[in-house]
Amino acid sequence: MNTRSLTRRRFLLTTGAVASGLIVGCSTSHAKSVGYAPVVGAFEPNSFIQITSDNQVIFYLPSSEMGQGILDGLSTLIAEELRVSPELIEVRHASLHEDYKNPEMKMQATGGSNATRAQFLPIRQAAADAAAAIRNAAAQQLNQPVDKLLLADGQVLADGQRYAYSEFVALAAALPVPENSPLRSPQQFDQIGRERPRLDALAKSTGTAIFGIDAEVENLYRAVVVRAPVVGAAVQRFDGTAALQQAGVVDVIELRHGVAVVADSYWRARKAAESIEVNWTQTELAGWSSDSLYQEFVETLNDASEKGLECCLEGEGDKLLDQAEHRVSADYFAPYLAHATMEPLNCTVEIDGDSCAVYVGTQSVQASAGAAVYYGDFDADKVKMHPAFLGGGFGRRGLGDDVAEAVEIARKTGRNIQVVWSREDDMRNDFYRPPALVRMQAGVSDQGIIETWSVRRVGPNIMDHVLDQWVDVLAPDYLNKGFVDWLSKFGYSVFKRFKADPSAGDGIYNDYDTPNKEVRHIPRDPGLRTGFWRAVGNSSNAFFKECFIDELAQRAGIDELAFRLANLQNNPRLKNATQLVAEKAGWGKPLAAGHFHGLAVHSSFGSAVAQIAEVSVEGDKIIVHRVTAAIDCGTVVNPGIVRDAVEGGIIYGLTAALYGEITLKEGVVEQSNFHNYPMLRMAETPAVDVHIVASQEHPEGVGEPGLPPLAPAVANAVFKATGQRLRHLPLRLS
Amino acid sequence: MITFQLNNRAVAFDLDPDTPLLWVVRDHFKLKGSKFGCGMGLCGACTMHVNGEALRTCTLPVSAVQGAAITTIEGLGTPNNMHPLQQAWVEHSVPQCGYCQSGQLMSASALLSKNPNPSDDEIHAAMDGNICRCGTYGKIKAAIKSSAAAMRSGALAESAVQSFDPANRGVES
Ligand code: FES
Ligand code: FES
Repeated sequence: MNTRSLTRRRFLLTTGAVASGLIVGCSTSHAKSVGYAPVVGAFEPNSFIQITSDNQVIFYLPSSEMGQGILDGLSTLIAEELRVSPELIEVRHASLHEDYKNPEMKMQATGGSNATRAQFLPIRQAAADAAAAIRNAAAQQLNQPVDKLLLADGQVLADGQRYAYSEFVALAAALPVPENSPLRSPQQFDQIGRERPRLDALAKSTGTAIFGIDAEVENLYRAVVVRAPVVGAAVQRFDGTAALQQAGVVDVIELRHGVAVVADSYWRARKAAESIEVNWTQTELAGWSSDSLYQEFVETLNDASEKGLECCLEGEGDKLLDQAEHRVSADYFAPYLAHATMEPLNCTVEIDGDSCAVYVGTQSVQASAGAAVYYGDFDADKVKMHPAFLGGGFGRRGLGDDVAEAVEIARKTGRNIQVVWSREDDMRNDFYRPPALVRMQAGVSDQGIIETWSVRRVGPNIMDHVLDQWVDVLAPDYLNKGFVDWLSKFGYSVFKRFKADPSAGDGIYNDYDTPNKEVRHIPRDPGLRTGFWRAVGNSSNAFFKECFIDELAQRAGIDELAFRLANLQNNPRLKNATQLVAEKAGWGKPLAAGHFHGLAVHSSFGSAVAQIAEVSVEGDKIIVHRVTAAIDCGTVVNPGIVRDAVEGGIIYGLTAALYGEITLKEGVVEQSNFHNYPMLRMAETPAVDVHIVASQEHPEGVGEPGLPPLAPAVANAVFKATGQRLRHLPLRLS
Repeated sequence: MITFQLNNRAVAFDLDPDTPLLWVVRDHFKLKGSKFGCGMGLCGACTMHVNGEALRTCTLPVSAVQGAAITTIEGLGTPNNMHPLQQAWVEHSVPQCGYCQSGQLMSASALLSKNPNPSDDEIHAAMDGNICRCGTYGKIKAAIKSSAAAMRSGALAESAVQSFDPANRGVES
């Protein structure tokens, strides 16, 4: 089944820093950012694995490690099939090569919570074939029948003797690599499903994990970019003379979107940047503030002539709404949100004539390399990628804007450049989670069966902005730039006029059994860039859907749990997770005085998640004491990482539910740092219990699915506590 | 010329005295374990010990640490010789993305050096300046408590965490 090309010669080798045959370091957890490098005398069965003559197993990690645990997960798959201890594998971030493309996305990128699902078989196959090759070589070398040889703990067991794999790498390298070697069965798994400390914990607890921001090269200059207060504006004129006179400043240059100050230290560049005055061009976005945008949404929602683009049409659509015994209608709103990854965006570029090396933590090595090609005007084969750990991704990293800017500065100055965005830069130049105003309507029978489900939503698309970014950096380099620009604008108009943005309908209609459904989306966009924010459309759509489900249950006079179960007959995984969470949290049982439960359930990225939040209210303060969650994500590779990812989604979701709001004033993002875009802190963090449904189904997503049910679970509990139905995020009691 | 102790080593810095200590340590002395997160003293990613106190170094001019003893995450412990808290961090699998964790560990270690038996409220107060965007707070708290208990009982097993020795690679059973 593994038809991957194994032509290692075509690799874009990333560095000469690793001397051939000399493997530095020992721990799996440090994840070197050297990309693929051939090792003299090593057995290299495919693009993922090298076994060296000193018995080191090296794994080239094709996915980005941003906290979600994929380094651990995929290394576990290698360990399972190659029969080595996971702790002994040295993991390196894979550089750019088509073999590392995500098989579902057909792109070298990490997102959509699919890295385990998409690579569960191919990565195991690569390791199983490598193991079979070692076994074949051992058989030949030891003159033993293959079926008498056992592999365990990185050793071949033959006739009561143990031999390290390294003894056979020379011969294995000379023999053909087997294909389609049998994979271990779930009954045999001794690594997959085992609970143990995550492999990258040691490096990340000792300050030795290397993030993009930690890149250091010779003669490195630091650049600080003066950016437009209204994103998208360009420089009209500026005066850099004062800045140029400051100590350590070597260049002040105009960029596509700002002015770069380059100095011999970050602090000097930053101080000098403050002295620069820029006149910016006017943009349409400057005409918008959050209030006027909300008004625009309201008017559009109420304008019957706006039919919107179809996200879903099933049965009779919304035609039968009026015939139901209970017709319920409510409008909901969710705001723009910033990602606020803990590591602000940054990129380091080393330039050497017509070639460059790019050091960056990215969710797409491919898009990042493409950005260097397009914006730095480098030939594709002259760009070397050095991926690193990501200090959080959440959908923010991988659009290429960080790289584009750094290569532009390096190209224009001819210097090695590091750009570290300030927190303010990061927060004000994000690709935000888009806002939406949504009219939810449903027809429900007396028995509590949802007969008609109707959603009409207004808000910006995501694809317009993402395509604008990606078409440039992902289009094959033989397309000329004019054509690429045209294509990115064409993509823009497609989602404006003809086809609903996929994220608009994400998860807003799929979970329940309703025979008649209609979901329509009306794009309205002031021009602030939007993008993938953890769980994407599900992040707000689950809030609309699950709060509204509680409203329907309450209108029908039916317990919210019973109402959901009755309408989840065709969704056994979600129904099962819902029953499990109800049992674990003690739904319907008495709680401490003043404490209330809220329930919300949601499927996304292939997984089913149900959550119950235990909440109390003091004055206008919402206190979340405990969140109980159940997830069905199919086969589990490391249960600890599944629980962490769900808990992480809950905390990320709770920050958004209680505080998250990016607002505009005359086009300027008003929030800038953690004082006005606050994050949940330890004292406010609830206890979280995550229960995993046992399953042998194919693995599904865990990085994002924990987030969507959180906000509605809290809002539903707040309603129980106060009688106030909060339909706007963030949740604010009046 | 500003001189101070950096992880028990005497160092000198003679560029702009208003440079925040964080950038001096990261870019001048090339110790990259301490992180930049906000530059306003709001997130704790840059936390180091200054004469034993956990301080935010992104807003602390290097001139303010003349003669002081600075400890960074690199000075707290190393992969082969971890501080008990670091061992607890690994045992509990605390880090997700890991970016905040140097700062978390420096705040936690300053706390435990003064208060070997902190209550929940004391832990919250000491850790309030440290944001974790990945949401590892629950595990941080659990790791602080178990580490504190182990240190109090003096029963911290040397082998609490198996650190990998490359010399044994592939030949242990
Ligand atoms: S970087 Fe110093 S507190 Fe955030
Ligand atoms: S582990 Fe990612 S910010 Fe704390």
